[in-house]
Amino acid sequence: MSKSINNQGYGLKDKVAIVGVGRCKFGENWNRSEEDMIVDATYLAYQDAGIEDPRKQIDAIYCGSLYSKNGPVEVSESLKLYKPITMVLNYCATGTEAFRAGCMAIAAGVYETVLVVGYDKPKDRGVSGPSVNIRDVRNLPATPAGWFAVCAQPYFEKFGASREHLAKIAVKNHHNGTLAPESFLKKEITVEEALNGRMISWPFGLYDCAAQSDGCAVAVITRADKAKNFRSDPVYVKAVASGSAADPNTDPDFDFLRWKATENAAAEAYKMAGIKNPGKEIHVAQVHDCFTLTELLTYEDLGFIPKGSAKEYIDSGYFELTGELPVNTDGGLKTFGHPTGASGVRMIVENVLQLQGRADKRTPTKVRPAIALSHNIGGFPTGCAVAILGIER
Amino acid sequence: MNKAGIENYGAYIPITRLPLSVISGKAPKEGDPEKAVAWSDEDCVTMAVSAGMNCLRGIDSSRIDMVILATTTLAFSEKQGASIVAKALDLTGDVKTIDVSGSLRSGMLAIQQGIDAVKAGSARKVLVLASDCRMGAPKSGIESSVGDGAAALLIGSDNVIAELTATASQANEMMDIWRRQGDQFVHTWEDRFINDHGYIENTIAAITTLYSKTGTTAKDFTKACLYATDARNLGSVMKGVGLKTEQMQDALFGKVGNTGAAFAPMLLVAALENAKAGDTLLVASYGDGADAQIFSVKDQLKNKSDRRAIKFHLPRRRTVDNYNKYLNARDLTVTEYPAADDQGISATVQYRNRDENLSLQGHICGNCGTHQYPKGRVCVRCGSKDEWANYTYANHSTGRVLTYTFDAFYPSPEPPTVATIVEVVLADGKAGPRMHMQFADASARDMKTNLPVEFVFRRIHRAGRRPNYYWKCIPMQTITTGGAA
Repeated sequence: MSKSINNQGYGLKDKVAIVGVGRCKFGENWNRSEEDMIVDATYLAYQDAGIEDPRKQIDAIYCGSLYSKNGPVEVSESLKLYKPITMVLNYCATGTEAFRAGCMAIAAGVYETVLVVGYDKPKDRGVSGPSVNIRDVRNLPATPAGWFAVCAQPYFEKFGASREHLAKIAVKNHHNGTLAPESFLKKEITVEEALNGRMISWPFGLYDCAAQSDGCAVAVITRADKAKNFRSDPVYVKAVASGSAADPNTDPDFDFLRWKATENAAAEAYKMAGIKNPGKEIHVAQVHDCFTLTELLTYEDLGFIPKGSAKEYIDSGYFELTGELPVNTDGGLKTFGHPTGASGVRMIVENVLQLQGRADKRTPTKVRPAIALSHNIGGFPTGCAVAILGIER
Repeated sequence: MNKAGIENYGAYIPITRLPLSVISGKAPKEGDPEKAVAWSDEDCVTMAVSAGMNCLRGIDSSRIDMVILATTTLAFSEKQGASIVAKALDLTGDVKTIDVSGSLRSGMLAIQQGIDAVKAGSARKVLVLASDCRMGAPKSGIESSVGDGAAALLIGSDNVIAELTATASQANEMMDIWRRQGDQFVHTWEDRFINDHGYIENTIAAITTLYSKTGTTAKDFTKACLYATDARNLGSVMKGVGLKTEQMQDALFGKVGNTGAAFAPMLLVAALENAKAGDTLLVASYGDGADAQIFSVKDQLKNKSDRRAIKFHLPRRRTVDNYNKYLNARDLTVTEYPAADDQGISATVQYRNRDENLSLQGHICGNCGTHQYPKGRVCVRCGSKDEWANYTYANHSTGRVLTYTFDAFYPSPEPPTVATIVEVVLADGKAGPRMHMQFADASARDMKTNLPVEFVFRRIHRAGRRPNYYWKCIPMQTITTGGAA
């Protein structure tokens, strides 16, 4: 693990603050272009940060998109904002990685205020769901549902969880999504409906899978010591970490009970944030629920609960808005869909709203969040990014 | 001149069977006549590889220096099939690869050519593969009579189990059965004319010539393995050359069907499965002329007992219950978006990956012993660089299923596609690399963790409208009757 080269603490802790956030309406935005979504989300974030003259107040742009047609010019031309611009790519962790790159640039003293833009517009491709990837003769079959399903049977056999536990995650996220103004799907479902959905890739039925949608989310970040110049309740970055792991399809030592990339990213993030007991110290979390099983494994891989115990915690409602550790308070990828580059930043937006007490009907009933975590995992899956935010410096 | 003959044999019959009742739209009943059909991931190349693997089980293949593929159903007019088969069977280096095509006699002709090459000293050992998957137009009579299958014969001069002692031929030219360039389906001229003056007349002539050349008569043969267009015409030839019913090798009509270039070789293999030393076998094949051969069975036949051929594959079957599934599997339906021509797969990448994709070759780390597949420069376990020795898994290993999913999203004529992660089990029982692989010839209900599997060479997709071949896994235990495709 890397070590800080200065004496001001390890990594990124308390060096950077979020002073403005915005997310556009996510969904099948047939009438909205990338430009529309980028402008909508960015101007919401400007307003949130009190930025009136972005050409003077923003020093650089870090953006992320997996399905970009033309690269970072899509952001600079949409905003007519011609600043140093970098596009970042790390599969489904792309949004959080753009945020991480922006934070590192500020922590390094290169820039003072940075715009982080995560977006994607997959619904222009004319296909429902992800495309099937034919890269080579081998590496098949290759649908994301197929990649993420490989832990299911070994986990079920070892720990006794079932499709019903996955269904309960879908039911929770569908409920939370009805409470988020910008979510795509606003529909309560039952466990029975979730179990009876059309099969996509066993054990994932339709309701176990995140939808594909278009969306954009934006954060304005600045030096922690200048944050109160923008607003009185900035949110401080406690850690942003990235983790990778061997391809689970070929890793000779893999047990199919976890995603190692999450464990690796979490270890780095907790070290950076000084968190010893994540189950107690994290109060709210947005985790990557591309498939319900991904969320289930993530509870354990992030150390919120012991490995193998998810089914009891799911049954007890532990991760619901009324529970001890609410997860995916806005409905997650399940109801926002997964415009890949946007998702990580969308989660950061939700955590900022939660920490600032601006989550409205999505406010947890048992906890008053002071520390929030967000998490993306992607690839086969092979890459993960985790961001930890706090309301106090 | 060297002595030469058949050293070993193998065969392959696709597990999928199409009951003839399903073709005519009726509900199939157990025991209905049926035909063997190559499924969507099979073709003459994959069937030849399977027959070849069966033939080479437990045999040192390092001395094979000629591979002949006999077929009339290659996907390419210009590009060899034997080169693909040889690569999949890990027969490389100074191996001469030959395709023999264009005639339904090509299977038996290839066997004769292989034996001639060994006799002449121009080859040490020859692997002959005869494989065909011809199609009749949907609902035509020919569709019901043709079937798919393959035979493999190892030719050499050591441990000969059956010696070729005599041959005779009868040349003939007529438009009886044909496919023009680009034709998907077999055409024929009028049935009675082509059988009387084509198949029956010429086969009888070749066999009669053989009798007179060798001073033999029908009663000298233990078994007769005769190509036939159908069971009725087979009877005419049998009578015409004086053979009795009990001498006839079962031609597998109603079970497999007429397998074209592979038909007579498969019947020869079936006869060898039941033969004993001293038996004499008569073989005849037809297609623009006829050939007849005599094989004399040797004592060495009994030295090997684990062969996989007709007896092994015949009971391994699953039946198609719906004709549309067959049409889908054979690409005989109209689709919204036909595959894009020449797109998708880079031939350059395919070239670089040919050992991994076609021979299922990975490598073993010289520093820590870890097996790695696909190959890479750096070891996933110990991190050492470029310390590798190649290791070919397909023909020497089995596997066990670690996990799986049933992917309904992946395009397939028969969804869901069963995708597995398999850990290779090496010959010594140790763990090899892990591979992400499709499960073939079985359905979701056959799957469980730790299921033992073996590897089969299949056509994984047709990106670029080319057959793209890779390996899949199938359950090692017998899948018997009752399964529906």
